[in-house]
Amino acid sequence: MSSDFEAYEQDFGTLTAEVTNKIGRIPKLSGEEKTQLVLNVDKQLEEVRELLEQMDLEVREIPIQSRAMYNSRLKSYKQEVEKLEKDFKRSRIAYSDEVRNELLGDDASSSENQLIKLREERAHLLDNTEKLERSSRRLEAGYQIAVETEQVGQEILTNLHGDREKIQRARERLRETDANLGKSSRILTGMLRRIIQNRILVFALGAIILLTIILAIYFNVRGH
Amino acid sequence: MKQTQLGGNHKVEDACEMYARAANMFKMAKNWSAAGNAFCQAARLHMQLQNKLDSATSFVDAGNAYKKADPQEAINCLNQAIDIYTDMGRFTIAAKHHITIAEVYESELVDIEKAIAHYEQAADYYKGEESNSSANKCLLKVGHYSAQLEQYQKAIEIYEQVAMNTMDNPLLKYNAKEYFFKASLCHFIVDELNAKLAIEKYEEMFPAFSDSRELKLLKKLLEAHEEQNSEAFTEAVKDFDSVSRLDQWLTTMLLRIKKTIQGDAGDLK
Repeated sequence: MSSDFEAYEQDFGTLTAEVTNKIGRIPKLSGEEKTQLVLNVDKQLEEVRELLEQMDLEVREIPIQSRAMYNSRLKSYKQEVEKLEKDFKRSRIAYSDEVRNELLGDDASSSENQLIKLREERAHLLDNTEKLERSSRRLEAGYQIAVETEQVGQEILTNLHGDREKIQRARERLRETDANLGKSSRILTGMLRRIIQNRILVFALGAIILLTIILAIYFNVRGH
Repeated sequence: MKQTQLGGNHKVEDACEMYARAANMFKMAKNWSAAGNAFCQAARLHMQLQNKLDSATSFVDAGNAYKKADPQEAINCLNQAIDIYTDMGRFTIAAKHHITIAEVYESELVDIEKAIAHYEQAADYYKGEESNSSANKCLLKVGHYSAQLEQYQKAIEIYEQVAMNTMDNPLLKYNAKEYFFKASLCHFIVDELNAKLAIEKYEEMFPAFSDSRELKLLKKLLEAHEEQNSEAFTEAVKDFDSVSRLDQWLTTMLLRIKKTIQGDAGDLK
């Protein structure tokens, strides 16, 4: 009978070792493997519990004198199994140490990362400020150019106005000149007419005088 | 130079022509005073021949030649030319020569008062001939120099007058605000209260004035003057200068105003 119990003890030992091992591995895994392993551990824990029940029955069959030792062993085994179950439960929801290390590891070296990030942000902001300053300087320059343009425009307009008046005056003068030329042309025509009249008169008078002289001579010769 | 024989207009005419040619030769040789002299002689001979127009042109040529050598002589010749033109009733061209003389006074002989007198005369002639923009041009010069000579009342009148003339003209109205500004500055130098009243009057007359940077500058200057704060004054002026440069006249006027501030606050400083 005790050899059965010892056989059960050995089985129990191997099973619990396996279970502990697997429980240790569960948090590191994830997904498919994790569920499989979890099922595995579940099954093994079932087996362990069955073993415990059988060990219990064995112990009952043992004569009372040596039962105490086996009882205490049984109790410790039961406690172990309970602990394993608790661990198992925890492992299913807890993150593994490695994952924790990753997280905490980042935090530990993250102060450095933070500094780098801060420095980057600072450079970025300085860039922005510089861009803004450049833009405002360009705007100012643009405004200055606009004002200068306005002044140039003013000058041009004044010049245009002056030129306009000059052109108008020149046109008036031209019209006057035109009128004067017309008048002088008429006067000249008048003069020409008068000259022609005078010449006709002169020729006419000359002709009459010539006629008179010829008549006089004729009568003289006749009268002889 | 050819010798001339007096007697017979024909000869005098020849002489004129000879003088003119000689003068041109002198001009080519860059002997300006001799050229001017020759032109003057030619002009006098033309007068003898009663060729007023030719005479006046010769005097003008003489004046141009003398400008480069002897400014005073140039002014004499030009004056004679102007007399002939006004006699003939050609006021426009007389005004133009008044301007030339005034420019000579401005630059070479630096006699600002005479320059002002000639500019004024030119402006009057132009007004008579209804050439308003040329008249305005001369008046502005008169105002410019009067203010420099501290004849502020005259300057104020002139600037106001010009500004009101240009206000309505669509081509020139962009200039009007500048003239109002200058008039206000002159008011300012005389008396600050005057300046305030004047500015209000101008704003009423000419609404576009209120948007201009010049008006903003004026208001700031008035404030600074009231508080006797020459730093605020300088600040406002610097602001304005950074956008559009202040020319020499404006700087002089503003400096005078600033001195009045510092003068009033002299003991406190």
